[in-house]
Amino acid sequence: MSSLRNAIQRRAHKERAQPESRKKFGLLEKHKDYIVRAKAFHQKEETIRKLKEKASFRNPDEFYFKMINSKTVDGIHRPKPEANKYTEDELMLLKTKDMGYILQGIQSEKKKIEKLSSMLHELDNKRPNKHVYFAEDREEVKEIQSRIEQKSSSLGLDNIPSRIKRKTASSYRELEERKQRVQKLEKLYADMALQKELKKPGRKRKLREDEIENQTSRPVYKWRAQRKR
Amino acid sequence: MRPPRGRGFGRGGRGDGGGRSGGGGRGFGRGGDSGGRGGRGRGGGRTPRGRGGGRGGGRGGMKGGSKVVVVPHKHNGVFIAKAKEDALCTKNMVPGESVYGEKRISVQNEDGTKVEYRVWNPFRSKLAAAVLGGVDNIWIAPGTRVLYLGAASGTTVSHVSDIVGPTGLVYAVEFSHRSGRDLVNMAKKRTNVIPIIEDARHPARYRMLVGMVDVIFSDVAQPDQARILALNASYFLKNGGHFVISIKANCIDSTMPAEAVFASEVEKLKADQFKPSEQVTLEPFERDHACVVGGYRMPKKQKGTS
Repeated sequence: MSSLRNAIQRRAHKERAQPESRKKFGLLEKHKDYIVRAKAFHQKEETIRKLKEKASFRNPDEFYFKMINSKTVDGIHRPKPEANKYTEDELMLLKTKDMGYILQGIQSEKKKIEKLSSMLHELDNKRPNKHVYFAEDREEVKEIQSRIEQKSSSLGLDNIPSRIKRKTASSYRELEERKQRVQKLEKLYADMALQKELKKPGRKRKLREDEIENQTSRPVYKWRAQRKR
Repeated sequence: MRPPRGRGFGRGGRGDGGGRSGGGGRGFGRGGDSGGRGGRGRGGGRTPRGRGGGRGGGRGGMKGGSKVVVVPHKHNGVFIAKAKEDALCTKNMVPGESVYGEKRISVQNEDGTKVEYRVWNPFRSKLAAAVLGGVDNIWIAPGTRVLYLGAASGTTVSHVSDIVGPTGLVYAVEFSHRSGRDLVNMAKKRTNVIPIIEDARHPARYRMLVGMVDVIFSDVAQPDQARILALNASYFLKNGGHFVISIKANCIDSTMPAEAVFASEVEKLKADQFKPSEQVTLEPFERDHACVVGGYRMPKKQKGTS
């Protein structure tokens, strides 16, 4: 039945708009808009009521240790700074452990590089090595020279499908990335080792730039020679 | 919409030229794109098929062929594998076995037979480094008899045994018992390797074991290695045979520059009836190493009388 009723065209329903004179108040508020607004208002009202209630029931003797152990700084709660949580020895041990972790990373990367480079021989690249031919006389020299020129033709590696080329290229990329990672880790390790040595007792001083023999951008320290028993 | 990936792969592999979903010669390449049935998918399938026409030689077909391409190297018995790896390799005599933990590459031929290759690590083998260095001739080829001095644990020996194949022979001489043990274990599985645990300085001690050979490969790293090579050559190397010697400059004289050491060694070889033909340094793989290749008691060249 309803489908039949829908078939007949009816007059379009028109919503009432905000009158021109009240345009400054924005769109005309409908009942459903009012409900949303009223709900939000009552929620806030309720929150304020609860807080007021809590304040009125407050225990004036209430105490927590956090109240004296921490403070608000610019409105942010900060715990009291702990001075020397660890002893010097413990700190040293922690540093050693950190270094051990980095060293482990270096070693595992190096192992992976070795594995990768054992099967990536850069067959298409020019080699940096030297090739010497030994000839007895001039004729042989000419012969060898002509042979070298002929040899430059490639080895049937031209028609390799592109997906295999892509695979090879991605392997090379991985190798390169790993090499860079090892470099970074080794630098980090050296830095940590230096920091650790500096923490140890013993007189040392940082060398001035004109005192360094092999110029580097990194700091160089010199320890006072000490007789060891 | 997407056809099941596994099936697409199998079909392409069999190479029956497609089917309902658009004739992808090699389902592997096509499985990636989402269309499959559309014209785009078809175009993608065509390219590899074009390559299939030119297939031949050592290149694998079927499933293996879709993942790896193996082509013969300039030197007989040596191959180049292109896949995830980009490596020199040799055909494995003992399929299913690695000698020193090297990678193996399996390739299926068109007739369904499987061939296995072993990756030849140039960081561990000076011969491989020389081959990659572009040496013209290693003289080690299928069917040759090779005397290998300084075999160590037999990593390179295993590859030489792969190259010479079942018709060739490798006599592997090593002095150290410790590494000789690995060598013997390796030789147990390879019928063409004869391990000899003896000092290469005294070839008389193993003269009963070794016949005439076509090539001597020497990797002894001793100051008197030229003399050792000459001694062995006088016993076992046929006239007009060849030698390949790897020279570590530090082992001979660590005070001289490497180039000078190589030159002096070449002079020593020349004095012992050797005729060096070429020398390559093993640069990216080894530092201050060179490989010298040449002939022994070569027939005199006829001087042009006309």
